[in-house]
Amino acid sequence: MARKSWHLNRRQLIQGTGVAMALPYLNAMGMVASRANDAPAVEAATMPRRFIGTYISYGVYQPDGQSGIPRRDKEGNCEHHEWSWWPQGNPGKLKSFNKSTAPFEPLRDNITYLRGLDHKGVYRLGGHSSGDVFLTGADMAEVETTNNISIDQLMANHHGHQTRHASLVMGTEGGTGSYLRTKTMSHRGPGKPIPSLHKPDEIFNRLFHPYGNQGIEQVRAGLKRDSSILDLMMEHSRSFHADLGKQDKRKLDEYLESVREIEKRVERTRDWTHTPLPEVDRDSLNLTVDHKTGPAEYIRVMYDLAYLAFVTDQTRYATYMTESEQSSSSELWNYANYVLGYKGATHDIAHKRPQVISGKWDLWRAENHAYFLKRLADTEEGDGTMLDNTLCLWGSAHPHSSHSGLNYPLQLAGGKNMGLKHGQLLEFVGDQKVPMANLFVTLLHAMNIPAEKFADSSGNLDQLLGG
Amino acid sequence: MFDRSSNPGHLLKGFLFSILAWVGPLLATGQTPVEAGKVGYASRVKPFFETYCVKCHGPDKSKGEITLHTLRGDLSVGGGLEKWESILDILDFGEMPPIDEPQPQPSEVEAIIQWIESEMRLQVKNASQRVPEPKARRLTNVEFQNTLNELLGFELDVIDDLPEDPELHYGFNNSAGLMRMGPEQLNRYLEIARKAMRAAIVDPKKPEPYQKRRQWTSIGRDRGMALDELGIWGNRRGSVAGGMGMRDLPKHGEYRLRMQASGIVPPGYTEVPLKIDMGTQPGPTETPFKTVAKLYLTNTPDEPKVFEFRGRIENHPTSLVRSGKQGPLVREMTIKPRIFYDNGTHNDGANYAKIRQLAMPRAVINWIEIEVPVVDVWPPQHHTKILFPSPLRESDESAYVRQVLKRFMGRAYRRPATAPEVDRFAKLFRIVRPGVQTFEDAIRETLSMVMISPQFLYHTESSPATNQHHAMASKLAYFLWASMPDAELLDLAAQERLDNDKVIRQQVQRMLEDDRSHAFVENFTLQWLSIRKMLTVPINEKLYPRFLYRVSAGETRGTEVPYLITVRDFMMQETVGFVGELIRGNRSVLNVVDSDFAFLNERLARHYGIEGVRGMEMRPVPVAPKDQLGGLLTQGSVLIGNGTGTAPHPIYRAVWLREAILGDHVPPPPSEVPALEETAGGATEEALSIAELLAKHRTVESCNDCHFRLDPWGIPFEDYNAIGRFQPRVPRDGTRVSGFNADKHGDLAGYQAYLDEINTVKVNSRARVPHGPEVDGMRELKNFLLTQRRDDIVENVIRRLLTYGLGRQLTFRDRFAVDAICKQAEKTDFGMRDILVFICLSDVFREETRRRQDKKD
Repeated sequence: MARKSWHLNRRQLIQGTGVAMALPYLNAMGMVASRANDAPAVEAATMPRRFIGTYISYGVYQPDGQSGIPRRDKEGNCEHHEWSWWPQGNPGKLKSFNKSTAPFEPLRDNITYLRGLDHKGVYRLGGHSSGDVFLTGADMAEVETTNNISIDQLMANHHGHQTRHASLVMGTEGGTGSYLRTKTMSHRGPGKPIPSLHKPDEIFNRLFHPYGNQGIEQVRAGLKRDSSILDLMMEHSRSFHADLGKQDKRKLDEYLESVREIEKRVERTRDWTHTPLPEVDRDSLNLTVDHKTGPAEYIRVMYDLAYLAFVTDQTRYATYMTESEQSSSSELWNYANYVLGYKGATHDIAHKRPQVISGKWDLWRAENHAYFLKRLADTEEGDGTMLDNTLCLWGSAHPHSSHSGLNYPLQLAGGKNMGLKHGQLLEFVGDQKVPMANLFVTLLHAMNIPAEKFADSSGNLDQLLGG
Repeated sequence: MFDRSSNPGHLLKGFLFSILAWVGPLLATGQTPVEAGKVGYASRVKPFFETYCVKCHGPDKSKGEITLHTLRGDLSVGGGLEKWESILDILDFGEMPPIDEPQPQPSEVEAIIQWIESEMRLQVKNASQRVPEPKARRLTNVEFQNTLNELLGFELDVIDDLPEDPELHYGFNNSAGLMRMGPEQLNRYLEIARKAMRAAIVDPKKPEPYQKRRQWTSIGRDRGMALDELGIWGNRRGSVAGGMGMRDLPKHGEYRLRMQASGIVPPGYTEVPLKIDMGTQPGPTETPFKTVAKLYLTNTPDEPKVFEFRGRIENHPTSLVRSGKQGPLVREMTIKPRIFYDNGTHNDGANYAKIRQLAMPRAVINWIEIEVPVVDVWPPQHHTKILFPSPLRESDESAYVRQVLKRFMGRAYRRPATAPEVDRFAKLFRIVRPGVQTFEDAIRETLSMVMISPQFLYHTESSPATNQHHAMASKLAYFLWASMPDAELLDLAAQERLDNDKVIRQQVQRMLEDDRSHAFVENFTLQWLSIRKMLTVPINEKLYPRFLYRVSAGETRGTEVPYLITVRDFMMQETVGFVGELIRGNRSVLNVVDSDFAFLNERLARHYGIEGVRGMEMRPVPVAPKDQLGGLLTQGSVLIGNGTGTAPHPIYRAVWLREAILGDHVPPPPSEVPALEETAGGATEEALSIAELLAKHRTVESCNDCHFRLDPWGIPFEDYNAIGRFQPRVPRDGTRVSGFNADKHGDLAGYQAYLDEINTVKVNSRARVPHGPEVDGMRELKNFLLTQRRDDIVENVIRRLLTYGLGRQLTFRDRFAVDAICKQAEKTDFGMRDILVFICLSDVFREETRRRQDKKD
């Protein structure tokens, strides 16, 4: 029987969870990092800063109030349901974890829940379309109808050159989807969704086995030739482009840009051939799993790949759309059936909100995400853990059963080394309400990107950085 | 909208009159036409809106996000035309004002409609002076694969290597807006092009083919089935059912598979349907087999026949296995024959199978052999088509390369390549050549680059390098074949004859008779009717235990794999085949609502309860009203896709009917409305009747606003259950359906008894159609549609076909073009094939090619 993805054997664990080579940042000083109080600040500054955005769809279970905000009693205490997506009712320090959030309890000091944030640009488009802008905040209803750049890509534009891959874009369903039915979280800019990768073996090969069976000199010679060929292709396409009408030209711009981008990548790949690839044991992962046959296993292999990409420093920015808002034509539609034996489509849970099934569905998703966070938290890096150097945003832009796009359920984890303070449930409601883009500004700051504004931001949430 | 003054069939209008007659007192005075332009707007149109509409669609309320108080009387103002068009449609359909609001006189409505129409016509006329240029669009994945295969001359499966194309429910994905390009996409094209060229161009040395043969003896016939016999179930170990395993096959090349087979056809059967699969053992994590061929055996074991099939080995999945404990990894593949006869009898294990197996159709396969690659002719034809024999190759390599490029590019670009285009790739060849070992390698790489040029990847009919005739050849081919033009079309284009009506007419007829048109029918039908979602509806296997055949392939729930081709797969074929039959037989478009035939095989016929259909091949079968079939509305694919898998879903079905058949656009559910259960209360996920929930939902006003126009369209479908069968009775709500017992209910009669046992409550399928009469069930709904909404239905199908054919959304500019085709269609009794001819001959289809020509002149 195929090995489950998370059943790594002991040997692999000792060798760094399937990674056989010396790793760039993993305990660079020796087998066990010193836990001395005087953590060298220099080291923190040179640590990689990473980001991953993951998405869940069709909302979460929030029976304690309308529109994702709990009802309050006379004393101002929030109602709370044992199966609510939120760990506790009242904002403030994280004190208790309910049934749905139990997997996060061990991570209490590394997570923050954020209530009341959302993107107003898609209010009018309804919940099924808001997944498109989860990481972009674009005003797709009116102005930016073809969406806009997502924060992971903005980060990659600034710092992506430091790693072999600028970013890693994954999705359970793969591809781009279409407007307002996206299947990817990442967008280069208006009209440029990045197709998400959904085949684990393909992602693995791209990350760790990109040259196939070729020798490095052969690869380099090939890449050099590719450069000259692409130059010529560019010339060829440009002259064709020049003869076209205006509309055609605009459409073919996409093509030209793609050629240019591939040229750049060839250059980049060439440069990186001088850096050895990490050796990762292919057999440590079950790469042939697919979501038709093993939902949890599939999702965890994908998380594992993100983890491996981070731990080997192949990239620092990743997104993973674990579920899309339009999964009716994929097997994802049946996940709740496979996982919980639920009689309807996964989407029906959102509408019918059967109490325990809804809770268990949220719990299942929480278990998968917590699995990933724990892997980061269990991996020492410098003077802390990988989680301390990785911002993990997790949530949905389709919060409720009623197609609303208000008040997203959001959890932010990790990033202590970037100044993040955790262990709270923060609420932004009433006159405290601010755009979710404010959070993005702060995430960018945490990444050392001096941004004053992103999408419709009206400021920042730098209080998360401990101010 | 047909010419309503001369068309007495515009019955809806008549219908509206009759409603209004009892809604309120009417002044019987006729209305004078509204004066043209702003004068008319101010004097009649604006007051009309203010009286009947602005209350709900004005400054205070804007239901449906439509406001009318801000309109000006000038239709040319900033994009207002679309808005006017939707107003026109709503008035036209008689949808507004709501029935419980004060109603205008019908003659006044008519006058307003006429004013809007004539103003629009004026705008369209002005606008067509400056029609926007067409946009180049990239090929869809299906078009790309077909084009590749036509170009290379063999079939290579590449769709799975590409990011999935976006889907647009009820719309088509072949528009410029949806067909995007990014570096990732382009990279995939390059990988595929290289793979294709590796397959198309062979190395000069004739390879030693891989050969394998296995035979089975008839020993054991006296103890049940012999080793060379293949039954549906319960096959013996070591028998032909295990197939033939192969190791270390070549990666590339054409294969030839031969076998000797015959059929044992028991009384009551007509044939043995046999399928030959090749690939890896299907397991929970592997890509399953790919079918080599299907055949229907009727020859007896006394006269065995030899069958031969060819295909590409690249298309069949292999698995890597270790040979020996520490041995090297080798590629493995199996050829597996399988009988796919299925009459719906439940397969519940070997015991049952043993009793039945000898009474069921069996195949006898004496031997199977395979050879890869086929080397009868070397190099193979697909190679010499590109690298043709010529003395030039030795004497002047660069001249030879130019000729090779010219030939290849002339087809790849679907038009003659220009000299500078050929020059550039000749240069590319020179860059590539020193870095690779062989001439063939250099050609492969060069031609791969041709295949990622925009001229190959995009529809570039509007580029100046393409003349009117080649543009037309491509337009026709991508419309009717979803592929590139064949030699005949390219020849006609070269002779500059594709501007001739007679030639176009002949070509359309020829193309529709060609097998390649299947790609069009399938592509068009599945998208238009939004059929694919049917495949992912989770069928309640307690309620419908025999719908899906799954066998456990793993240890945990959810790892079951389909055992046979299921009835669900045949349902896709049913719908595609049905539409194909309308085209093939030039039958009326109105068959989409009701028809005197269905497109079935034995399995489907059993499912629907039609007697006397034998054999697994799909074909048109006459049906009578008592069969409760006919048209698209009652096809399993539609009914299942628009249900929950447990219960029929009136809303899904209503939306489907309005979108796919009537051509209305149904807006998505708005933000922040209470969900169905919140208003209907205490329903479980196992609701057996959604119709009842909806009835409660409609008692809430904010819900009723939309649902009163939606639900009634779905209620008449209630007699058809969640697996697409006519079943006017359902289980009592709250019933726990778990009584299925394979022993008791195993055969068809037992299964029926089980269903009768649990289904005890008569369904209510009676509803009042919005602004229409009450209809009781499907039959009356169909009658209503055919008599009262005929024109809308015809117009809708024409619009869908035209949208698909043009590869872009229709705009207000196309309104009158659609009208013209509708009128032509009416004269030929709405024949589907005629309609396709009219579309291909229409100005709107041809104008893009002509206009470019004008520009050049």
